[in-house]
Amino acid sequence: MDGDAAHSMEAEREMTRLWRTFRTVYELLADRGYEVSDNELALPLADFREKYSDSLGFADRSKMKIQARPTELMKMKYTPLPSKANPNPQPDCGTIYVDFCPDSSGVGTKQVRAFNHLVDENNFHTGIFITQTPISPSAVRLLSGVPGRICEHFQEQDLLVNITRHELVPKHVLLSPEEKARLLERYRLKESQLPRIQVSDPVARYLGLRRGQVVKIIRKSETAGRYASYRWVI
Amino acid sequence: MAAQQGPHALKTSLPETFAAMNAQQPPPSYEHPSQEQQDKYLQGRPGATQQHLEIALQHAQQIQTQKDAEDVILNHILDLLDLPSSPSANPATPTQEDANKFKFSLIPFRPSDYDNLILERNYGDLCGYTLCPCKHRKQNHAPGGGFQFKYGPKGSGPGGRGRSVDIVPQDQVEKWCSDACAERALWIRVQLSEEPVWERRGDNTRGTNILLLEEARAKRLLAPAATGTVSGVVDEMNNLMLANGDRSRELAMERGDTSSVNRNGRVPITLQENASGNHRSGAPQMRPDDVTGGSIEGYVPRQDRSVDQDGDIDLFDQI
Repeated sequence: MDGDAAHSMEAEREMTRLWRTFRTVYELLADRGYEVSDNELALPLADFREKYSDSLGFADRSKMKIQARPTELMKMKYTPLPSKANPNPQPDCGTIYVDFCPDSSGVGTKQVRAFNHLVDENNFHTGIFITQTPISPSAVRLLSGVPGRICEHFQEQDLLVNITRHELVPKHVLLSPEEKARLLERYRLKESQLPRIQVSDPVARYLGLRRGQVVKIIRKSETAGRYASYRWVI
Repeated sequence: MAAQQGPHALKTSLPETFAAMNAQQPPPSYEHPSQEQQDKYLQGRPGATQQHLEIALQHAQQIQTQKDAEDVILNHILDLLDLPSSPSANPATPTQEDANKFKFSLIPFRPSDYDNLILERNYGDLCGYTLCPCKHRKQNHAPGGGFQFKYGPKGSGPGGRGRSVDIVPQDQVEKWCSDACAERALWIRVQLSEEPVWERRGDNTRGTNILLLEEARAKRLLAPAATGTVSGVVDEMNNLMLANGDRSRELAMERGDTSSVNRNGRVPITLQENASGNHRSGAPQMRPDDVTGGSIEGYVPRQDRSVDQDGDIDLFDQI
């Protein structure tokens, strides 16, 4: 009996942790501008447990797959400015697909290849691969090497808490190409003269920023109330 | 929601898909822009010259080569995961085909790439040595552990008595199926070149002639160690013929330093030998101002130091 109790305790802990990760994923999708319903954003633990656990009470990660479509606002932000060569540009974003890897250790090229294949097969624009452990270096390279698609990787523990909700993390807002052009004109700048932010920055990874975009960072300031700065993603 | 993919859907490997996609697309534009494209680019930029563009293109090409090389290494790692071709292969006597494929694939590797290969094979439940079909060791982790004792054979201890004891981290032990395989795999690792493949020169043969441990042992028994003599090196140096224009062009190509502006590379090679043997050396001769000791970097020390009434040298006077 004692063993059973310990067993269910462990399952309980794992489920709770996974629930928090799962909720952060929905918040991440909403923050990036995908269509996410309020029900999904505020999924209670009991419902999550009912939906995604197996008969023993452990998490069944193979059931946890999320798809989301971009909202109009997001499409607008990802549409490049019309140019002579491309007078009618299409938004560079599309359906996103999130997959939780069920393997508890040793995630290598095999799993990543299957994931890439899945993303390619179903014609998803972006894929997010979430694993429990770090993945091997070759797998990272394989994940980023899919032509025409964007595949990202997170560990479950990275998403346990939503870092952007921390009080010390200022608000990051992605600028649309039009807003970026206006900013550069207003301050008579070249984009290379802006301060920079790396694509590997935790917040940049959270927001899925791409090279060449500009984010507006709004901080609280004791003297000025609010202080906005702009950073160029490299 | 995506349907679960059956195993048949995964048969086409990703490299193959890429190759198929690349075949459909026109050849990559990074090869070299045509003269018209270059002129058009330069027209919009008054400060830039053809030379600037050439240098930019050259660097772009270098970066592209680097990316291509990394792709090649990744594909080789993926290929090597499937070795050995038969599940009953003996790692001590691999088939010629497997051994050749292994050695050929390892040429662009650095030791770190090889470590990735080992890690990747372990993730696939295989021994880290590529030519071994066994599973890698798996031990139950002790709760406080991560390390374990390893005993050598009898008589390996200090002074030839007892057994040697090593404390090794558990993950080092679990990479391989046996100690023999560990030795074979690490023997390969030390032969790899540390230099990344896109920086290697043509004359650097390290990492290209890889020997398996068994082959190396057989060779060592057969032949005494070959040694290079000084005269041999001198002969080779003479054979280089650097002053020859064709030769320097070849060298520039090996450096990846050729462009249409500077055919021979950005570094001009001009050999200048010091003329020797014509003038005789003799003892130095005194010049007139050497009596006072000459100048020290332009400053001529004064002989007559002014002495004060109290007999010591005035510091201010010297300054």
